[in-house]
Amino acid sequence: MNDRRIPRGEWPSPERDTLTLGMLPLNDAAPLVVARERGLFAAHGLDVTLHVESSWAGLRDAMQLGLLEGAQMLPLMPLASTLGLDGRPTPMLSALTLNLGGNAITVSNALYASMQAAEPEAMMQAPISARALAAVVRQRRTAGQTALRFASVYPFSSHHYQLRYWLAEGGVDPDRDLELRVVPPPLVAEQLEAGWLDGYCVGEPWNTLAARRESGRVLIGSHAIWQHGQEKVFAVREAWADAHPAAHRALLRALLEACAWLDRPAQRVEAARVMCEKGYLDVPPNVVEESMAAGDTPAPHGVSVFHRHAANFPWRSHLAWYADQMRRWQHLNVEESVLKACLARCVRPDLFREAADDLGFNYPLVDTKREGEHATEWPLAGCRGAIAMGSDLLLGGGHFSGRDDDSES
Amino acid sequence: MTVKVLIVDARPERSRALEQALHEAGFDVVTRADEHDDLYAIMTRVTPDAVIIDAALPSRDTLEHMGQLGRRFPKPMIMLAEEETPNLTREATSVGVSAYVVEDVQPALVRSMVNVAIASFEAHRALKGELTKTQTTLSQRRTIERAKSQLMETHAFSEDAAYQWLRKHAMNRRLTIHEVAQAVLASDDVGS
Repeated sequence: MNDRRIPRGEWPSPERDTLTLGMLPLNDAAPLVVARERGLFAAHGLDVTLHVESSWAGLRDAMQLGLLEGAQMLPLMPLASTLGLDGRPTPMLSALTLNLGGNAITVSNALYASMQAAEPEAMMQAPISARALAAVVRQRRTAGQTALRFASVYPFSSHHYQLRYWLAEGGVDPDRDLELRVVPPPLVAEQLEAGWLDGYCVGEPWNTLAARRESGRVLIGSHAIWQHGQEKVFAVREAWADAHPAAHRALLRALLEACAWLDRPAQRVEAARVMCEKGYLDVPPNVVEESMAAGDTPAPHGVSVFHRHAANFPWRSHLAWYADQMRRWQHLNVEESVLKACLARCVRPDLFREAADDLGFNYPLVDTKREGEHATEWPLAGCRGAIAMGSDLLLGGGHFSGRDDDSES
Repeated sequence: MTVKVLIVDARPERSRALEQALHEAGFDVVTRADEHDDLYAIMTRVTPDAVIIDAALPSRDTLEHMGQLGRRFPKPMIMLAEEETPNLTREATSVGVSAYVVEDVQPALVRSMVNVAIASFEAHRALKGELTKTQTTLSQRRTIERAKSQLMETHAFSEDAAYQWLRKHAMNRRLTIHEVAQAVLASDDVGS
């Protein structure tokens, strides 16, 4: 067992102390905001400015142009950037996961009523499967009606592949049966109300906001699709990390402390206040508070896990799962050996462990884990004793071996 | 070939000026749209060779999706292979211009189009004193801070009480903190 904790005085000093990080106006940018506003970056010798970007595309551009040193990102973005699928080919990596879960699938009131009429029994089950949707799709096809439209937030998003997973599990072929779109979260509620969209998968605070407007019905949260699945990561350019190992490590320490602080519901409410008061999230404060404060047990939607269950550890198997989903839908046509090498470059548990050692935090001794195995909490060996891991079931009882050459799903 | 351009901008005055400038430079502006239009329908209908979009609009991500759908849809400018692309993209980003272009538009035309858009956005900003996205966040924060200070002064509130006052009014009226702060400052302007 490793019980080494590196004393503060021995931490390497950052090569650069003035840094700019990017984020989107979302609840799960909270670790960056907390690290900035509670002085955690400063305590690690960093003067950090946060840029609130309007779109994932804008954030990607800023990262690839070198206007940002690091950013909150969707898990697939560093991989897509490294492979040259998203923007200009630019190797990026992540050594820290910001949160697990927090998305949900919502449908319009009209579609909800059609689903209930088509398959009342399927709609009584929890979690709600897409079986009733499959029935509505068949009815519409027979009647010669147009395909229903569903949206996610970005092509390379967790939301996109969680939505596809849920659809496929209920017998809906997303490519044949539906029209899939990308609509930014601030616009989904009004498009649902206008009838341009029939459903969507987005993160908080946008599900809570839509639920308050009563513009749609939340069917299932991402925790019910993939329990404690990876949601956002903190990413940097590989070249920047290589040139600034100490600054990167200091960023990771501050973010790790911020995530640990966010583990308590009362402090998440405080974080909600900071995000509204400091202009990071321009959404009614009670909506942010409600969606941040949600309880500790998996709720119908919107619960983000920021620290417990080794949430911040960058599991190689998490990105491998998303890559496997991309392959499943023929969105990733690269050679096996290329993909394998990229996955190894893009996820860096070794760098996480250095930062965790600085702080004396516990972490897993292995880099991959199996998904779809545990219905309840389970113990995993850590460097400083056992870690209580979260459940990890996949909707419909799927399994994933965790290896990046796995093809079962 | 004449390059068919779609402009997506929430500010009609600016997009009108840009349309005029692009027209004078020899581009064919097929239509102007804003954030609340159905971009999927418009893109499919007008099949533009290029799109100029205000970088502050979240709808950029919709264009990213369309760019992934096939060759006929414009791709983000940063993907262009030209050596000078990063510099031009950086310059465009700094004034809030984003561009999407189909692969077969000549690089010289792309540069010309983006330069016209940069000049047009800059002229508009100089005229209107409008803020970039980052400046907007900072300005919102300053507005909230000023409103809090004012409440602390006029009601002898603590800082926390001032925030709670803003929060309560935001909740009651379904507004954001920034919107309530603006209202507080505006009502004072009237009173003084």
